[in-house]
Amino acid sequence: MNKKDMYILGIESSCDETSCSIVKNGEEEIATVVLSQIDIHKNFGGVVPEIASRHHVKNITMVIEECLEKANMTLDDIDAIAVTEGPGLIGSLLVGMEAAKTLSFVTGKPLIPVHHIAGHIYANNLVKRLEFPLLCLVVSGGHTEFIYMDKDYSFKKLGGTLDDAVGECYDKVARVIDVPYPGGPMIDRLAKEGEPRYPLPIPLNDDTYNFSFSGLKSAVINLAHNLEQRKEEINKEDLAASFQNVVLDVILKKTRKAIREYPVQNLIIAGGVAANSSLREALQNLAEEEQIHLTVPEMKYCTDNAAMIAAAAYYANKRGDKASLIINSKSTMELK
Amino acid sequence: MRSSTITLYIDTSSSYLYTGLLIGNKLKASCMEYLGKDLSTYALSKIAKMLENSSIKPEEIDRIMVVNGPGSFTGIRIGITIAKTYAWALHKEIITINSLEAMAVSLKEEIYKVPLIDARRGYVFAGIYDQENQVVLKNQYIRLETLVEAANSLIRPYKFITNDALSLEHVSYIPDIEKIVETFQNRTPLNPHAVNPEYLKRTEAEENQGIQTE
Repeated sequence: MNKKDMYILGIESSCDETSCSIVKNGEEEIATVVLSQIDIHKNFGGVVPEIASRHHVKNITMVIEECLEKANMTLDDIDAIAVTEGPGLIGSLLVGMEAAKTLSFVTGKPLIPVHHIAGHIYANNLVKRLEFPLLCLVVSGGHTEFIYMDKDYSFKKLGGTLDDAVGECYDKVARVIDVPYPGGPMIDRLAKEGEPRYPLPIPLNDDTYNFSFSGLKSAVINLAHNLEQRKEEINKEDLAASFQNVVLDVILKKTRKAIREYPVQNLIIAGGVAANSSLREALQNLAEEEQIHLTVPEMKYCTDNAAMIAAAAYYANKRGDKASLIINSKSTMELK
Repeated sequence: MRSSTITLYIDTSSSYLYTGLLIGNKLKASCMEYLGKDLSTYALSKIAKMLENSSIKPEEIDRIMVVNGPGSFTGIRIGITIAKTYAWALHKEIITINSLEAMAVSLKEEIYKVPLIDARRGYVFAGIYDQENQVVLKNQYIRLETLVEAANSLIRPYKFITNDALSLEHVSYIPDIEKIVETFQNRTPLNPHAVNPEYLKRTEAEENQGIQTE
């Protein structure tokens, strides 16, 4: 191991995945373990916070151990401990935070707190070194926003959702048309087989970089309700296609505007909804039309994972972010 | 046990942090503080401060004794996560202690003891112990009324022990860390991975659906 190299062990537990990863110099993934609870929460039609916390505490040390074994390293080889500070489910975050604080305390290694969305953004750094200035479209179950970055770990929010996040909206629509959890990937699949023949309003179709998806969600609910009252069967494929169509429409429109207004050559996407195949395809086309470079995270980095946290932590550390043992998880926090 | 064995005691199962550092059976330092919602923020730093003030390095601890519940779900997870991560990382012995047992042994009176913790909506986590701290009624999630009936049917005098605002005559719980450690130190140490909270209650979602996920 080169002396100058920095190996960061990251821990992520903000929702229903317990994950640990070791990343070298913010760019090279050495090993990652992700223990997903998706099969457990499926029984409840969504993530149950208390159950998620219970499974995190049960699994946390096993996940860390397995990651070190996979990397063929010990804690002595690690230079710093990184952890998701927030936002997320507080009970879930706390388990990762207490584990990370304890590791920092017993090993004497620095503790680097990382914003979950900074992690999602830096998932792209594991694919290709970020080039600045860049525009990042964050799309996930908890976030829908535009971030402008002129250098590493400098985040300027251009706008974001005023109510529901896009991923949240996908999950709710999935529930309305009786598609099993997690709804996002299923809606994406169904949409490919359907025709967008149901009229739905384009949400917050204005000149800002803000989004609003709650109206669209209500429109889908009302539509389903009306069809039901008229005893007409809902064509799930067509409804999925209609819904996805307006979502992509508004996202693309605002992305194009941002690209034109800000001097960027690079567009990246981050978050769970970055796994949506139609969104990836549509953004690729947009990037070609606008002649800018698009980077998308690998599918395995779209869902929550600790590799992105350990990657982001390298740059957080360069900026001087460091936590004492008196740090708490935050269910909500701004990306700064 | 060697007279020089260093034990770290951790209990975060309520709104209080109860932590102690013992050399042999003697309590050398402790911290008992109401932290409420700040438990997750301060518990570890207070433990660290206690060790530092006693000039004990983290690696000098021989074993960790941690309270694994019942009690506040979040609280228990904080102590358990700290304890199991610590024990796993530095290869230390780890032993778990039940919060109600810790409450029972801390009351040094020749009577029956009824430790209880508020579980809300008319329920408590509770057990009944005799003067030798042997189980009379096993620890459970029980209606407060039912517990009071069970206690009233005891032929011996008894006392309720709690720190929660429950409307019954009781004594407050003040942990006797020396006594707790002495009582439970011969338990078989666990693999840190296997150290988990004892909630004594499924989550509401599991109850509603009739499933157990753990």
